[in-house]
Amino acid sequence: MGKPKVGIYGLTGCAGDQLNIINCEDELLKIFDIFEIESFVMASRAKNENVELDVAFVEGSVSTEKDLEHLMEIRKKSKILVAIGHCAVFGGVQSMFMGKEPWIERYKKVYGKENAVTLTPPLEPKPLAAYVKVDAVLPGCPIEKEPFLKLAGKLAHGIVPKVPDFPVCAECKWKENECLLLKGQLCLGPLTNSGCGAICPSMNIPCIGCWGPIAKENWESEALLLLEKGYKPDEIVKRFAIFGGTERAELLKNFLESHQKQESGK
Amino acid sequence: MRVFKLKRDNFIPFMKGLGKFGELWGPVKKGDHHVYAQASPEQFDLKAIRTIVPAKKFFLPKKSTILKFKNNEWTEHFDVKKRVIFGLHPCDIHALNIYHKFYTRLYPDPYYLKNREATLIVGLSCLPDEHCFCNLTDTETVNEGFDLFLTDLEDRFLVWIGSPKGDEVLKLVKDLIEETTQEDIDEYVAWRKKRRSMFQVSLDLEGMPEILTFNYDSPIWEEMGDACLSCGTCTMVCPTCTCFDIEDEYDIRTDEMDRQRFWYSCVFREYSMVAGGHNFREARSERLKLWYTHKLVGFMSEYGSPACVGCGRCVVSCPVDINVLTVAKALLKEKPDAFWARMASLKNMEVEHA
Repeated sequence: MGKPKVGIYGLTGCAGDQLNIINCEDELLKIFDIFEIESFVMASRAKNENVELDVAFVEGSVSTEKDLEHLMEIRKKSKILVAIGHCAVFGGVQSMFMGKEPWIERYKKVYGKENAVTLTPPLEPKPLAAYVKVDAVLPGCPIEKEPFLKLAGKLAHGIVPKVPDFPVCAECKWKENECLLLKGQLCLGPLTNSGCGAICPSMNIPCIGCWGPIAKENWESEALLLLEKGYKPDEIVKRFAIFGGTERAELLKNFLESHQKQESGK
Repeated sequence: MRVFKLKRDNFIPFMKGLGKFGELWGPVKKGDHHVYAQASPEQFDLKAIRTIVPAKKFFLPKKSTILKFKNNEWTEHFDVKKRVIFGLHPCDIHALNIYHKFYTRLYPDPYYLKNREATLIVGLSCLPDEHCFCNLTDTETVNEGFDLFLTDLEDRFLVWIGSPKGDEVLKLVKDLIEETTQEDIDEYVAWRKKRRSMFQVSLDLEGMPEILTFNYDSPIWEEMGDACLSCGTCTMVCPTCTCFDIEDEYDIRTDEMDRQRFWYSCVFREYSMVAGGHNFREARSERLKLWYTHKLVGFMSEYGSPACVGCGRCVVSCPVDINVLTVAKALLKEKPDAFWARMASLKNMEVEHA
């Protein structure tokens, strides 16, 4: 097996995920050793886009038509497409209002008019999977060095990695932390993908969910628990929405509203 | 079992003397809780009731490399350290005895065995808090599974020898210990009486294996499943939970593939998923039922006793109050004071309203 041909790309986002790859300073030579890097614009102007890729890493959300075009091209020429970072995997904070109101209303609010001049026609920000098949994901805001290196190691050996299917709480217990939720804090650990090593709770900062919602999480229960602990529905919905995607936030909002009606009807 | 006396003033030098065996680990304060940490004996908190994570972490580390592959060759990887682990209470030692059975009986686990061999276990007596229920699980005293055990009689300790290793190690501190007197024995008997009177939980836990079997289809599993966050905390903090998962990780720095073993949990969704994507326990309620029936029924038939030692860790750790006590109470038709039960009655009310 030759070296896998790799491209590293960014759509709309803060570019922090690509930056964190460059930040793997001590391992950069190794990364360039195990992969044939064909395109990584943040690191080098030299690039070759006319080649089939074994692996494409893509960060950022699809927020413009140009993004979408670019993503389609990447998908077409890549065997394995890996979404890296929260924006690519879940849509990022820019998608927290997705579907809440007609998108053009928000657009007008920001740009003052409907047909503002932009470099490329904008779209409602969405994760990659809204448009193309995504073969593997590495969440995080931004991605972390160690999980990225592990992912790279697996891909170099032809293994398509998967995200761990358990929440931050497990890693938090491995760190032997006190449970912040039990201490009454608005911690989203139970609803959030692990992999970060429970960095925030280990510093006594509740999890805000930047690794994105875990599959089939039990947000109903956590929301009711937080209500019981004295949090207002608004606070809960806001915290959920930042990294949880609007769809979930909307469900949660409706759930809490109907719950409150029930309570006041008693 | 031989027993000696250790004056309290001699405790620090005694522990330091044992430190010649290996690294000293004991209960140290972390926030409002305790953890087993490597520390000097001055830092040990002898009043610690339960650590966040139990002593199983020394024998099945939370995450460890068990094999290394390089250039198509593999080697077993051991990271064994000689340690003195101080401060295990009777429940903790009972739990280790269960661990021992599990990891040595059918498939002796070399990693477990090496860690166990390298460890000196120094138990410490305790006085129960409101969450302790080892009096109901028959684990409030312990006769085996430790090398030394200290009973804290305030101005002095009784030092029990539990193994040839303990006997051997005691030679390191022989100048610090004395023969016991009749007064010591009297004090010990009085202390036991006092301790026994301090337990606050009363519940028919003995009947659990039968009651759980009868209640296999009880609606309470659904109720708990509705509230369970599947966070895995119960299994991480349970001193008798043995499950792990294995993953190969390629380290690009060293060109080595590490086979990692890490704590895993039967309450995680993928635990019961098999090739092809079928999941035998897709529902949270099914996974909880597995945990409780394994712990309190399955273990009974396999090892002769249930795998709950009454340490109370699940009681203080579950954010939604699913624990051995509330489950037992619910099955015994006593109303548990628990978030999951409140959530269930709320839901039932909504159904009635509708």
